[in-house]
Amino acid sequence: MSSHYNPLQHPEVQQGTTGRYIAAFLASAALMGGAYYASTQKLPLMEFAATAAALSLAALVSQLALFFGLNISQAQIWKGVALFLAIPLFIITIGMTVWAFSSLYSRTMPMDGMLMSGQPTLLQ
Amino acid sequence: MATSNPTGAALALWNPGADEHDPISARTYGFWLYLIGDALLFCSLFASYAVLDNPVNAAGGPLTAQVINTPHGLWQTFIILASVLAYSLGTVSLKNGNAAGVQLGILAALLLGGAFLYISGTDLWALAAQGNGPTRSAFLSVFFTLLLTHGLHMLFGILWMLVMLVQVGVLGFTKDVVGRLLNLRLFWQFQATMWVCVYFYVYLLGGAR
Amino acid sequence: MQVAVDGPWSPLLGRLSLAAIPYDNPILVSTFAVVALLGIVIIGAALYFGKLGYIWREWLTTVDHKKIGVMYIILGLVMLFRGFMDGAMMRTQQLLADGPNSPGYLGAQHGYLPPYHFDQIYTAHGTLMLFFAATPLVAGLGNLIVPLQIGARDMAFPYLNATSLWLTVSGAALCMISLFVGEFSNATWVGLMPFSEMPTNPGVGVDYWMWAFQLSSIGTTFNAINMIATIVKMRAPGMRWFRMPVYCWSSLTTNIIGLSIFPVVTVALTMLGIDRYFGTHFFTAGYGGNFMLYVNLFWIWGHPEVYFLMLPAFGLFSEIVPTFSNKALFGYPTMVAASFSIGGIGWVVWAHHFFTMGMGPELNGYFSAATMLVGIPTGVKAFNWLFTMYRGRITYATPMLWALIGLVLLLIGGLTGMMLSASVFDYTVHNSLFVVAHFHCMVLVIGAALFAGVTYWWPKVFGFKLDERNGQMYFWTFVLASLLVFVPLFYLGFAGVTRRLDYIYNPALKPLLWVSEGGIGMYFVSLFYFGKMLYVSLRDQIPAQADAWGTGRTLEWLTHTPVPFYNFAVTPQINARDELAWRKAKGVEGVQPTHYVPIHLPSNTAVPVIIGALATVFGFAMTWRIWWLSIASLLAIIIVVIIRSFDKNEGYVLSAEDIAKMENQVALASIIAEQPKRPALAQVEAH
Repeated sequence: MSSHYNPLQHPEVQQGTTGRYIAAFLASAALMGGAYYASTQKLPLMEFAATAAALSLAALVSQLALFFGLNISQAQIWKGVALFLAIPLFIITIGMTVWAFSSLYSRTMPMDGMLMSGQPTLLQ
Repeated sequence: MATSNPTGAALALWNPGADEHDPISARTYGFWLYLIGDALLFCSLFASYAVLDNPVNAAGGPLTAQVINTPHGLWQTFIILASVLAYSLGTVSLKNGNAAGVQLGILAALLLGGAFLYISGTDLWALAAQGNGPTRSAFLSVFFTLLLTHGLHMLFGILWMLVMLVQVGVLGFTKDVVGRLLNLRLFWQFQATMWVCVYFYVYLLGGAR
Repeated sequence: MQVAVDGPWSPLLGRLSLAAIPYDNPILVSTFAVVALLGIVIIGAALYFGKLGYIWREWLTTVDHKKIGVMYIILGLVMLFRGFMDGAMMRTQQLLADGPNSPGYLGAQHGYLPPYHFDQIYTAHGTLMLFFAATPLVAGLGNLIVPLQIGARDMAFPYLNATSLWLTVSGAALCMISLFVGEFSNATWVGLMPFSEMPTNPGVGVDYWMWAFQLSSIGTTFNAINMIATIVKMRAPGMRWFRMPVYCWSSLTTNIIGLSIFPVVTVALTMLGIDRYFGTHFFTAGYGGNFMLYVNLFWIWGHPEVYFLMLPAFGLFSEIVPTFSNKALFGYPTMVAASFSIGGIGWVVWAHHFFTMGMGPELNGYFSAATMLVGIPTGVKAFNWLFTMYRGRITYATPMLWALIGLVLLLIGGLTGMMLSASVFDYTVHNSLFVVAHFHCMVLVIGAALFAGVTYWWPKVFGFKLDERNGQMYFWTFVLASLLVFVPLFYLGFAGVTRRLDYIYNPALKPLLWVSEGGIGMYFVSLFYFGKMLYVSLRDQIPAQADAWGTGRTLEWLTHTPVPFYNFAVTPQINARDELAWRKAKGVEGVQPTHYVPIHLPSNTAVPVIIGALATVFGFAMTWRIWWLSIASLLAIIIVVIIRSFDKNEGYVLSAEDIAKMENQVALASIIAEQPKRPALAQVEAH
């Protein structure tokens, strides 16, 4: 099997191109730079959050498509499917945790002790 | 291998050529699955960060806006993306079996990764030296843990790159070496993608609040 | 940075000293004597029969998925026994320590276990049963059967597969070591926070628990990756998605769950670890720590984990019910859809484990409703099994009996689960024995499925069936015991008995506690029949057919019994959903390949077992804070992995003549037979 199998001819080796990687770098860097620029513009919080989220999301998508080279070809389809199945879990893990704890915190009586730092220490 | 049943119809029952599966695809797919698990690891850290990024959990200590350096973070983002680019260009040389090109790409990625870790390390060290180390409050615990988890991934990637630099020279482009080079590219890209999430969530959003 | 510890610490031995050995505790000393004696007998027997080399070459260093599966199952059964003994001790303590006038023995005020020891026992019971009994049994059956059912030579990553096994074993080894060196956690198998933190729990027990848990979760994650990649990439030609047996579908869903949840608990445990070692404040009381965050992360893992174990059980029923009803499975597509729905819904219901946290009515309402939704796909599955049996020619062989009692237990456990899913009801019985009885019914479904699976596939692996008569006696005594133990717990829970009590305040509950204890006695009777079943079957070894039960439908029954180590001499071409049933219908089930081609197989390697041993050392050193040893063993693992990556071994080739010889004399290829050394191929560089 090993004698006639040339790993360098594998589609995952052959699929990368200089142009695509440079485009990926430029797109990601520009989008993240743009998000940073937005942070210096004293926008209202929600407006800034939406802008930064949109730009960062675009940066992530550009990395997935260009750096990771995800597409629907035979070689890559199952990676895409796996990611597609996992994305709801990312959202659920973070989203439901945040929801549960924001609701919990809004119902928890803040005690003075919580904000104090005078508890005994364990450190050496 | 065809055979026929008692009625005489030809049936395909055995397939002697089926063993020729594609080991590199299985390998990168398995590694991709690992990366999804790793992404969930980061997810739970982000969820913890979201919960603990609260004055109650800062215990009188600083919150995100006081402990980050957003411009440094931007430089780090550029450096890490450049590092990924260097490694990816290295794998383009793999297409025609150019060992020197691959090694050059890895070397550049390594140096840029080291620069990233240097900036990150000095920033975190300075923070800890001010008395705002990870033991100061629950918030700082999760802040350090998130950044150090990313840093540990990078350290692991750098160790892997060092091994691959040697393997490309010693073993040449065998099936295993090529599979590892492809997986390392996925890994190095993955940690950069996670850094983009960290930069968005901690540096940009956290800094704005 | 480093947290100070109570008591002495030396750079060489960390916290370890002679005082850590509990030689003053008669229970532990006698347990140690039994374990040591068993160990000496096993090693002595291996030496006497000259089998040590065989065990090392053919088992400990193997990468064969079937041998790994068998070793997983052995680990699971041994740990099941230990977990059962813990359970028996707990029930006996509750029986004895009932009411203020109850006597005390062995230094306890009531009963025979002081609270601190009792707490360690229930922690060990939960930890062992979940991670080192149920999980290895599920993983073992999956390893054994999935590659056979999809017509693969092996798993996608045989070396990773062995590593998963040995990491799980290293976790189990840590649990066993904790019995005799130091102590185990007393903070429950879920890890109560902030009680597990350093100020309230300064001993090494929590560290043992944490590292055993951590190592076995890494092993399980690797196994999940391996299974998914195997199912996606290694199916035989013609095995389209909707031709896969339902057991493979359930393995796929279960491992998707496994892959996605274990990282979350790794994070939760790591946070606890750095709290304990470095003094951070994730879950501490004070400094802004939030211990409910731990509970949240733990159950993000913990609830899907239930389905991680339950879905393979459903898959096993879906294999066994059609075989013993002599009918195709009813509603195949809905079975697949139901597996995915259970997996998906199972992921979004975790907060029903802590309704009482106080996150508010909207969230409790959501989690209640979502929990109830799980009943729908589960119901679909239950009805599909019933419709499969409807008008089938049912044979009441032992696996079928287990599957049927599994359905009954699923009904009891499922309906009480529906009660618990209503948050208002849950507030009343939260943390009571009612909950304990509910989830034991559910885990007994898993237990029944695993016994069914082991009995069902035993002949495929070893070439002879388990003894039917004793198997059925084992079944009936086990079922009776289970009902006797757990049905009273429902009533005790309603009567207000909370879980984890080392002392029960009300002597009026004595009759129910006696019934429960009677069940424990019955379990010992069933254990006797289990032993007798093994003894009689191993003594007689009546050879079984390739299709051992006569009505098998899926691919694994097509190859020889016992299964050759290369699975299929020639990879089968798949033509239908139930390939063997299809071949039987065409009258070609006996047609063998006419010629053979060489098979390429991976060589055995000692690296996984070395990694497992080093991981045990690492966990032990971290537990006792022997820093030099922790660093050394961690570095050693990294170095071993790097050295192995320079190995050019490409596996070996089994020649066509060898295959022809073994096909004619199947015992030569059995996984128990010792194989001659075959020269390895070297990997070459591409040009």
